[in-house]
Amino acid sequence: MATLTHPDSLKSDGAPPPFFPEPPTGGGGDDSDRNRPERGNSRSAAFIGIVVMMCASVMTFSALLSAMVVRRGLNGTDWHHLTLPSILWWNTGILILSSVAIDVARRLLRRGRRQEFNYWWTAGTLMGTWFLIGQIVAWKQLAEHGFTLIGNQHSAFFYVLTWAHAAHVVGALVGVFYVEYRALRFRLGPAGRTWVDVSALFWHFLDVLWLFLMAIFVFWA
Amino acid sequence: MTKLALRNRIFSTDHRTIARQYFFLSLIAVIFGVVLSILMRFHLVYPAAQVKWFEWLWPVKASGGVMTPELYLSLMTLHGTIMVFFVLTLAPLNAFGNLVLPQQLGATQMAFPRLNMLSFWTTVVSFLLLIASFTCQDGGPLSGWTAYPPLSALGAIAGPGQGLGQTLWFFSIGVFCIAATLTSINFIATVIELRDPAMRMMQMPLPCWNWFVTAILSLLSFPVLLAAGILILLDRLAGTGFFLPSGGGSPLLWQHLFWFFGHPEVYIAILPGMGIVSHIVSVFSRRPIFGYRAMVYSTIAIAVLGLLVWGHHMFISGLSPYSAIAFSVLTMAIGAPSAVKTLNWIATLWGSRPELNTAMLFCLGFVSIFVTGGLSGLFLGQPQIDAYFHDTYFVVAHFHMIMGIAALFGIFAATFYWFPLMFGRKLNERLGKLHFYLTFILAYGTFVPMHFAGFAGNPRRYADFTTFEFLAPVLPLQKGITHSAFTLAAVQVIFLANLFWSMRRGEVIVWTGDTETWQRSHTPTR
Repeated sequence: MATLTHPDSLKSDGAPPPFFPEPPTGGGGDDSDRNRPERGNSRSAAFIGIVVMMCASVMTFSALLSAMVVRRGLNGTDWHHLTLPSILWWNTGILILSSVAIDVARRLLRRGRRQEFNYWWTAGTLMGTWFLIGQIVAWKQLAEHGFTLIGNQHSAFFYVLTWAHAAHVVGALVGVFYVEYRALRFRLGPAGRTWVDVSALFWHFLDVLWLFLMAIFVFWA
Repeated sequence: MTKLALRNRIFSTDHRTIARQYFFLSLIAVIFGVVLSILMRFHLVYPAAQVKWFEWLWPVKASGGVMTPELYLSLMTLHGTIMVFFVLTLAPLNAFGNLVLPQQLGATQMAFPRLNMLSFWTTVVSFLLLIASFTCQDGGPLSGWTAYPPLSALGAIAGPGQGLGQTLWFFSIGVFCIAATLTSINFIATVIELRDPAMRMMQMPLPCWNWFVTAILSLLSFPVLLAAGILILLDRLAGTGFFLPSGGGSPLLWQHLFWFFGHPEVYIAILPGMGIVSHIVSVFSRRPIFGYRAMVYSTIAIAVLGLLVWGHHMFISGLSPYSAIAFSVLTMAIGAPSAVKTLNWIATLWGSRPELNTAMLFCLGFVSIFVTGGLSGLFLGQPQIDAYFHDTYFVVAHFHMIMGIAALFGIFAATFYWFPLMFGRKLNERLGKLHFYLTFILAYGTFVPMHFAGFAGNPRRYADFTTFEFLAPVLPLQKGITHSAFTLAAVQVIFLANLFWSMRRGEVIVWTGDTETWQRSHTPTR
């Protein structure tokens, strides 16, 4: 194997100079991360991570939705239109409100109003949980009306899509509750702000995703 | 084991330790996969042979020492799944990407070290589930790595191994999809965020570009497979009818979803190898790569086209001829960026005085096999010709050449080149060269004759074709292939011996090779 020696090694002391200074320790989170020589685990990395994660979710939902489009196009006899239970509209409203509350909270924290942040974030968290419970109620109501997973393709896809969405909501709630836990103990420093912003962003994403799914259930399917 | 050792060695968040973990996971997987293929090749040419230890291994499936067709099919399924997911996906991207990407970017870590550790252990869970699927009481799944419904969606009534075995197989793949998605998030964030501030995208080393594009491909394709997997698991476990004609569904829907993942998966396997080869060829030709920009753009072009050609796996599925033409044209178009890459590798070598060490030899082997395997793709990319070739050994030859052996040569090249980075020692060059020459000749010896078997109409996936009269002239050829494959597998022992010997006793070196990789890493971790 070639021994292409690094020019630095030819220096008299033998030890190459560090390419970067030693990474500073501790911390991690606020905007000044960008200017630090050691990057990583930083605020912008977290944002990129969550955006890429959202792309993955979009791909999963696109696959499910395209399967739904194809399946409906087969013109089978087992495609019966679903009457959406009215609680879904309440759930939609709650989810939008929770998104609003979480965003208000996020903005309040940016201005350092921690007490108010706690109120709003708690409200958002509770409404998010309420949405999830509402979804369970909606599934129960549908099942009572005979719309089960088997037999009717429309309801099958409805269940799959709403379950996939609910699974995402559970994941997002873990993040939201983590922020809540730290907020209530007043542990939210500048580093915690990244958690807040990232969870809020993902929460809004789930909100938009839900509106899109509702639009499909109402107007197309 | 102390808590510290547990954190440093097992649940480590250090990218190089994780790289070594991935390396050994795929090494275990590849050994397993090769053993399976040896058993298959043996059965193909000696279907009636009575082997005592077959019966010892599978008392029911090989009673009397003769393999049943079901056993053959489950070996085939496991061979394909292991090789595609746990070798060709893990080794080039996860193992070598983790090893080299951060420092080629001038970083010290991946963007999300803990997520990295999580993806590795998720992958391990997936691997264990896959092995479990094979050891089910009624045998492993039979439906191949593509798991086409209705066979794979019906459940236990479809055959032995189609019950719990197939269910576990789908769970394994589902878990793998999650792990692969997590990995791709990490890679993409690392490239975007942890790059040296002074390094623009168009200044990134080519391996980084290729890992980056590969990560994007896996991000776009694995979630689709996950969605398809969820639907088919519901078909199996909850009785829905997404893919079952009896339930009003369409098996073709699975094929579309699967190949939307499956074709990019081919590029997930080969693109990192291309990056590695570009890098090593440039280093040992002692000059910069010819046409850096063209290399980057061709990588992107291959990825974009790769996402749009899944239909060429479905030419004989009753696809509309119009869409077949579209898929065919796009497939042929992939030849252009591939030719750009080949041209640039050759142009880099042209007139240089290359140093022909083992890593470089494997790169040259890569280029050769990539061209050979790629040429047969031009036949298969045309619907009319594919109609004849589709279910023959021609396809087996094609994808083993271009996806299997070519990617494997990339892995070997990377292993020889970056071994010091993993273990602080060099692999033995003499053994390495011997290993290369034998592997190169035997790989051609194994897979080129398969093309001729395909011309003769030898069907693939059959457990036994010795009784067909029209295939009688092909049998000697198939025997030759089996003997070549046996020798090819035996030759790999040289590599394993070299690997394990050099890990402990190899020549200690401080650094070698290119500056990009080494300027930050003069002290090997160990």
